Amino acid sequence: MIRQAGDPREGENFADLYEHAPCGYLSTSMDGTITKVNGTLLGWLGIGRDELVGRRRFADLLSVGGRIYHETHFAPMLRMHGEAGGIALELVRADGTRLPVLVSSTVKTSANGDAELIRTTVFDAHDRRSYEQELLRALQEAEQERDRVQLLATTLQRTLLPPSLPHIPGMDVAAYYHPASADEVGGDFYDLFPLADGTWAFFLGDVSGKGAEAAVVTSLARYTLRAAAVYDPHPVAVLEHLNTVLIQEQISTTPRFCTAIHGLLEPAEGGATITLASGGHPPALLIRHDGPAELLTAQGGQLIGALPDARFVELQVHLRPGDTLLLYSDGLTEARTHDRVRYDEEELRDFADTLDVSSATETVAAVSQLLAGFGVDDDTALLALSVRLDEEGRS
Amino acid sequence: MDARRRNNVTDIGREDDPTVLLAHGFGCDQNLWRLVAPALAERFRVVLFDHVGSGRSDLAAWSPQRYSTLAGYAEDVLDICAELDLRDVVLVGHSVSAMIAVLAANREPARFAKLVLLTPSPCYLDDGDYRGGFSRADIDELLDSLESNYLGWSAAMAPVIAGNPDRPEVAGELEASFCRTDPAIARVFARTTFLSDNRADLADVTVPTAVVQCSADAIAPPEVGQFVHDQIKGSVLVTLDATGHCPQLSAPEQTAAAIAGFAGAR
Amino acid sequence: MTEFTVVTRDTPAGPVLELTGDLDAVTAPLALQAVEALTPRAGQQVVVELTGLRFCDSSGISTLIAVHNLAHAADAGIALAGVPRHLTRTLALVGLDGFFVTHLTAAQAQAAWPEATGG
Repeated sequence: MIRQAGDPREGENFADLYEHAPCGYLSTSMDGTITKVNGTLLGWLGIGRDELVGRRRFADLLSVGGRIYHETHFAPMLRMHGEAGGIALELVRADGTRLPVLVSSTVKTSANGDAELIRTTVFDAHDRRSYEQELLRALQEAEQERDRVQLLATTLQRTLLPPSLPHIPGMDVAAYYHPASADEVGGDFYDLFPLADGTWAFFLGDVSGKGAEAAVVTSLARYTLRAAAVYDPHPVAVLEHLNTVLIQEQISTTPRFCTAIHGLLEPAEGGATITLASGGHPPALLIRHDGPAELLTAQGGQLIGALPDARFVELQVHLRPGDTLLLYSDGLTEARTHDRVRYDEEELRDFADTLDVSSATETVAAVSQLLAGFGVDDDTALLALSVRLDEEGRS
Repeated sequence: MDARRRNNVTDIGREDDPTVLLAHGFGCDQNLWRLVAPALAERFRVVLFDHVGSGRSDLAAWSPQRYSTLAGYAEDVLDICAELDLRDVVLVGHSVSAMIAVLAANREPARFAKLVLLTPSPCYLDDGDYRGGFSRADIDELLDSLESNYLGWSAAMAPVIAGNPDRPEVAGELEASFCRTDPAIARVFARTTFLSDNRADLADVTVPTAVVQCSADAIAPPEVGQFVHDQIKGSVLVTLDATGHCPQLSAPEQTAAAIAGFAGAR
Repeated sequence: MTEFTVVTRDTPAGPVLELTGDLDAVTAPLALQAVEALTPRAGQQVVVELTGLRFCDSSGISTLIAVHNLAHAADAGIALAGVPRHLTRTLALVGLDGFFVTHLTAAQAQAAWPEATGG
């Protein structure tokens, strides 16, 4: 649509501008059929006007990928909004080579609001495309780097936790681990493994701090505890051993210590006997099948790896069928709930009292659900052991 | 699970009318139905939704595992039906959602009264005698195309987001999100869409089906619509005198009439 | 967002480290930097002023242990002042109740230090 002004030279200028503008111009009917095209675009394409006008659709000029993009994104946007701009596409020239372009289109409507035709401007985006490709490559590299870091963290994390828990006859065991971040290795660890004579050892702990340095301590703690328990299964002795090793291995000026509960499980008449030692760790929770939940506070047990002659405190409980022992890391009890009130051990105990659970699996499911509600931003580990109810008749 | 929120479900029309569930295709969101839905709502209860990763769905619910197969999307459709307790549903699937609809209907045929497959393609890639219309290299080019619109995306969309004063009816917030998808998600969706092959699933369709296609469609050409029609026993083939892959936009009255005609017939 | 400030000041009796806000994994490195910059002389006492500490997790405890280690290495004393109730509880949990000398205020801590003149 070229307006003819009074001055013929002005009219000629409009026509000339259209024809030789530094960008491509194209008009199509609403179904995409080309009705008008300027010389610049024809020159870029290397195609004659007669081959296009009335014969080809705009989408036909695009690369196949671009055509799909046009049909699934560009055309719908244009229909919905009456315009679509700055979309990067590629035109295919007569000789088969590609021309990167930026395309903007508007729909021209008649006086009564009916869509009449689509006007499209095409800019050569050769330079811009190379620049964008540089940016894209940088972006992809950054994303790959991030993926690599996450993969490394995930792999490392996996080495710090048992791939699966062993089966203990007559017992149900369950664990849960919630990492605070996909990019960093957390400091929580747990394990459960057999010792001689049908007894089992287990532990759950938490290394202060996060990241690579904490992961080194976590790994050291886990393997030391496993080795120490085989050497001398007495839980206090195991923690003393760990304390000595951690103090010898202080790797930086930043104190790296951990808190942990280490336990020994011995099958006993009508259930199991559990001996626990705590090194500064939040008290284990005993959820009785037929009685109130109780916190097993080993008062005075000190954190591990900070003090040369740290003191550890031991206690013993008997698990009966349906009873569950739950160990947890402070991600749970230091969880800052939505209103920023610390969720403490007593609240956890009260929560456990409201539960109707009689197995480790049910308990871990209920507590992990509670955690999901908190939106916890720290690592959290749970390890639960229970004596199977259906073993009651047999024991 | 809250499918209503996850899939940004819209429920219009009268609850006791027969239900038409509209599933949008790759590239856009439920707004694609905006020129069709009001007409349908006069006779039907119309339920619309956004696929996870599109429109105003819950992006947190997106995972590359679940959404790298069309079966994952089909499960979402069934979740929506179950949560809203929809029965005797006329499921309308556009573009890739036509195959999602086929998978959903094959999983739970009792849930659905009819299927409308709008511009369907069971396989976009050429394979032996089958002509889907695209080669593997073409699809890789599309993925590049998505990628290269990654950077310019927000700038390109800025005038749209700001609203179009000449056309106030499209300036709403809902429309602003139209066709805007997280590029990483779009890439996975594109891969899932254009590399799936559901030709074998067509023969299993037992729900009465209409295949609705356009006379000229660069993505799902008429031969492909014919193939779908041939494979689904007893299906009806309707060819609209419309161009493009989105007849809801290019020929909304015809499209609504085709859907309503088939959905309303006894 | 986490709010946290760390302020150090030197007094004739020794450095005073004041921690306020949330001391957690995010802010503990800041606190540790300040701890490592402390230069107590033998016979002085490092006072950690904690009245304004709103939250302290295990990373925070490691900060306190770092101060303890630093003071001991320098032959200086260490005292905590204004220990909030939640910290008392955490210290008890990790078996460190009674491990640190505590006072209500920094001034009291300094008054109680036998070498208060700074030797």
